[in-house]
Amino acid sequence: MFDSSPIESWEGAGAIFSFGAGSGTTILLFWLTVVLCVVPLYYTLKTENRHEDNHK
Amino acid sequence: MSPEELEAAIIAANTINLEVYYYWCTGFMILIHAGFMMYEMGASRVKHTLAAGTKNILAFAYMIPTFWMFGWWIYLAMTNGFVPDFEAGAGGVPWGESMGPNVMDNATGVFWGAFTLFACTTASIMSGAVIERIRMTAFIVLAVLLGSVVWILAASWGWHYQGWLVTSWGYHDFGASGVVHAISGFFALGVLINLGPRIGKFNTDGSANVIVGHSMPMTMVGLMFIVAGFFGFLAGCLIFPGTPISWSATQWANIYGMPTTLSAITFNTLMAVAGGMIGAYTKTRDPFWMMSGALCGVISAAAGMDLYYPGLTFVMAFIGGVTAPMIAKFIESKGIDDPVGAVSVHGYCGVLGLLFAGMFLGGYPQFSPDIPAVTFMGQFKGAIVMILLGFIPGFALAWVLKRVGILRASDAIQAAGMDVEVEAVAYPEDIKSI
Repeated sequence: MFDSSPIESWEGAGAIFSFGAGSGTTILLFWLTVVLCVVPLYYTLKTENRHEDNHK
Repeated sequence: MSPEELEAAIIAANTINLEVYYYWCTGFMILIHAGFMMYEMGASRVKHTLAAGTKNILAFAYMIPTFWMFGWWIYLAMTNGFVPDFEAGAGGVPWGESMGPNVMDNATGVFWGAFTLFACTTASIMSGAVIERIRMTAFIVLAVLLGSVVWILAASWGWHYQGWLVTSWGYHDFGASGVVHAISGFFALGVLINLGPRIGKFNTDGSANVIVGHSMPMTMVGLMFIVAGFFGFLAGCLIFPGTPISWSATQWANIYGMPTTLSAITFNTLMAVAGGMIGAYTKTRDPFWMMSGALCGVISAAAGMDLYYPGLTFVMAFIGGVTAPMIAKFIESKGIDDPVGAVSVHGYCGVLGLLFAGMFLGGYPQFSPDIPAVTFMGQFKGAIVMILLGFIPGFALAWVLKRVGILRASDAIQAAGMDVEVEAVAYPEDIKSI
């Protein structure tokens, strides 16, 4: 699980980020980033609505 | 060392210098965001202070991942208009080779970072206009649309050597008068029309009241931070020489490939700051407008700052500083509440800057003979595009958010203070608010 290196040697290496360009894991992590932006926004909205209700 | 090895070593050194240069431009640009945060917190009343600051910081936080997700891709892929070029956009796909650590690519990360900070600036421009009544969620959604979609689409069209505004009309916008400032100012106008004024801003006869922010000194210091940040912003508008991705082996160039120098930008940034401040102070005798005048000055001259004579820059900046407060008054007379004058300072001065470039940059050769020369009509048409591209999305999304009831805080929340929504108080010593 933690073996994330996309390279076996530094010779000729380019993209060196974990899991490697275009891998399924990077795409999964991309979507996880999307979710981690959207979900807090949803909870921010819920907090706002709660305060709006408290001030009616 | 052979001549070939020496040349390779020089290119490698230049490439590292390029990386360092844009890295620190990005760091300096964070001062712009810090400055806007202070500017709008100071312009807020005590009970709204932390909401204003939190809103600004969250815009910064949301801009970074969203610009990584799709902002950079838009810049690379959308040069033709609304139809993406997927081949050109491949370098901006977030799971692609360039969008993370890559020892063969010293440029993409620092360029992405600098452009991300430009995006943060656009969100900050809108942020000041909507203080004391917009809801946080709506603001973040609007900020993401502005910073990670709309401004970068404008940049792809007019701030990219293959952008259709450049290749069709010779559009020239060195320091982003149009692609950052006009876009953001008119986007803010579209939002403000839907958002409505702060409670108590307008009387029943339509006359406007002055709502005083709680800390003019904080606002003034914030504006000086923005001035400092402009040195990162405008330096980031230059292309570093002597690397495989540079326009020239030996000289700086603007984003369109026309030669210029960092000295040129230094002359004109400082002269623009001074001209705008003096102009606005002469017109208003108001410390707030004196400092906003610095922004008016830079924005009014930014489009042609790579080529203007410093005396010309000063005159343009002075005109921007004198006229922007008048435009702000006019906007207020139409019932639009823009507490920091964002529409006039950024929208109006941005358009003014584009038109000035059309008036005074005639005759300069382009980098490529295939690109039309800079003309007034080219700049005028470009300004129309910027106004529409900024205004329409801002108005449309704000209209939708208003319809679903999440754009504006209730009157009760506004009366209690927007800080209720961030569950904090700025000044625990119980300073009273107006």
